[in-house]
Amino acid sequence: MKKKLVAAIMAATMAVTCLAGCGSSSSGSSSSDSKSESDNASIRFDWWGGDTRHEATQKAVTDFQKANPNIKVEVNFGAWDGWEAARALEYQSQTGSDLTQINFSWITDYDKGGSAFVDLNDYKDIIDLSQYDQSVLDMCKDSNGGLAGIPVSITGRTFFWNKTTFDKAGIDIPKSLDDLIAAGNTFKEKLGDDYYPLSLSTYDRALLMSFYLQANTGEPIIDESGKLTVTKDQLVDGVKFIQNLEDNHVMPSIATLQEDGDVALNENPKFIDGHYAGVFEWDTASPKYVSNLAEGQEFVVGTELTGLGDKCLGVSDKVSMLFAITKSSKSPKAAAKLLNYLVNDPEGVTTLGTERGIPASKAAYDTLSKAGAISDDMSTAHAEVVDSDPLYFSPKFDDASLKDSATGAYQDVFEKLSSGSYSVDEAGQKLFDAYNTVLAE
Amino acid sequence: MTNNSLTIEQAQAKIKRRRIISVTVRYIVLIVVGIIMLYPLIWMVGATFKTNAEIFTTLNPIPKNPTLQGYKDAMESYGGNINIWKALLNTYSYVIPEVVFTVISSVLTAYGFARFKFKGHDFLFTCMMAMLFLPQVVLNVPQYIMFNKFGWVGSKLYLPLIVPTLFATETYFIFMLIQFLRNIPKEMEEAAAIDGCNSFTTLIKVIVPMLMPAIVSCALFKFMWSSNDFMGPLLYVNTPAKYPATIFVKLSMDADTGFNWNRVLAISLISILPNICVFFAAQNQFVEGISAGGVKG
Repeated sequence: MKKKLVAAIMAATMAVTCLAGCGSSSSGSSSSDSKSESDNASIRFDWWGGDTRHEATQKAVTDFQKANPNIKVEVNFGAWDGWEAARALEYQSQTGSDLTQINFSWITDYDKGGSAFVDLNDYKDIIDLSQYDQSVLDMCKDSNGGLAGIPVSITGRTFFWNKTTFDKAGIDIPKSLDDLIAAGNTFKEKLGDDYYPLSLSTYDRALLMSFYLQANTGEPIIDESGKLTVTKDQLVDGVKFIQNLEDNHVMPSIATLQEDGDVALNENPKFIDGHYAGVFEWDTASPKYVSNLAEGQEFVVGTELTGLGDKCLGVSDKVSMLFAITKSSKSPKAAAKLLNYLVNDPEGVTTLGTERGIPASKAAYDTLSKAGAISDDMSTAHAEVVDSDPLYFSPKFDDASLKDSATGAYQDVFEKLSSGSYSVDEAGQKLFDAYNTVLAE
Repeated sequence: MTNNSLTIEQAQAKIKRRRIISVTVRYIVLIVVGIIMLYPLIWMVGATFKTNAEIFTTLNPIPKNPTLQGYKDAMESYGGNINIWKALLNTYSYVIPEVVFTVISSVLTAYGFARFKFKGHDFLFTCMMAMLFLPQVVLNVPQYIMFNKFGWVGSKLYLPLIVPTLFATETYFIFMLIQFLRNIPKEMEEAAAIDGCNSFTTLIKVIVPMLMPAIVSCALFKFMWSSNDFMGPLLYVNTPAKYPATIFVKLSMDADTGFNWNRVLAISLISILPNICVFFAAQNQFVEGISAGGVKG
């Protein structure tokens, strides 16, 4: 016993001394490496995603290193859960990867005054900015006007329908708001109480409400200058519109969705077997729904709903994710080179395909559509969004205090509205206050 | 006479029948409760052979169209960087040092607080107990900044995870060990002192063997917590090749594009097997530890 313990303690002491030695020596060597960069650079690149994205991106990085043997790229990747917290800490403590995949809202959250990410306009001789519409790049500005990130893809929401269920009810898939409301009643009469033509989570409801309001005002709900363009009364009207959908049996109540297990819609058993026949989703989302559906169901891309308002369709689109270079990067040029390879270079673009959505870069879009690499579902849905003359989408709309699935205002308002604990007036007032709090910051 | 023996036989038969009934009832109750308790685990094993659509729509643990795809996918590596076996190896390469160091440092600290009076003893003890109520979340940011200054973030040796355990950071274990130490009679140590032990040899030769049951449970708890730790590795490990199982399990879980649950569950199942083995092995240790703690004569 004694010998063992002493041995363990000695081993521990030895381990500690040698660990400490290794730690200091390795950190020393890495800093000297980066100082001598100009031709030879070593950069880190991180992203979040799923299996196929990890695979494709790693392949692209390997190819890039083959083409640029003087640049060494280390990668770091993971799932979305917890990813933001870990990266946020890195950005704040200046230890982030050189090239990093960021969410649209991170520009406002972590890059206040351009503190976390470099202004990519400084690297425009490496990154081909001419592949992007100026209006798209304008969305990616930090508060100092610098270009915080390069948009990888543009996305927007549209409708997807389970055609099999609509066939069963004997009606066409809805194209206008009136169709949708009529479908709610038809579903109830012909198929039964637990069939609904649409199913919306609280965030889906907030987005659809914004479409409705935008269709009526013709303006983005939060404009480029960060101003709320709707009045309290208009918000009450928007909330009433959502409640009206529930009242007309268009979609199940939040309580019903929670009884289904409170899971993502593509994992909801009633969606899988066709009881919930419609979703309101990002244009690239259809594969995850199609792959989960029970056999014998046909899932089709719909159109944006007409008749929400008289000014326009009300659709907005947004930058879904970006690549940014951190301020702490010691080899920003090498990182910029990799960035350009991933978003504009035909080889890199072909490897990545639509793993990050439909590319915002024109060169990349042309390469992929010529190669037929964009699936029919995706290109149809994307065309729906792009052709609908989309309005500006403010990252403030996705502020954590609004969007958070546990404590956000959307969750609070639409859950309580659905259960009846808020009247439409109260709900409208709450939303109005929540928006004003966010926009006053 | 015959009458009498008959009644004995009858009585024996009656007792036997009663025993059978009582045993049957007991077993039925145990089996039913056991199934209820084990059901989630059984379901999980079954679900590794199902497709997504079946996982979400049925509670039946037996798959209708069993598929081995989940296990096949689980064996896949991510660009040669990391696979399930490497992830498990990574996990235990920091969990084992963490457990060893935690036990050593906690026993020393507990011994110090329980057996010695020194200046500031009460104040320090109060401080330590107060730490018991400090949630880990509060420490994340300052710790990260500190380890970052040391240059330990992304350390290939998991320094930010292992080194703190050298400093008895698990207050709960210290508290538990002190409570155990209180029940160990001081006379034993006095006897050891008479036999020529100094305070350190007393600890090793007398206290530690008697503390064994408590030490084993500390080690077990630490083992479980460390191998389940997600936030620590997420913050301090930034090369996929060094990812432990907790992060590896989640690598494919992307809500944006959807993923196959059978793979995730298969990986989870494989990664909890070593833990289950450790628990079975430790069960014997538990019992031995308890008998070793007895005061003889």
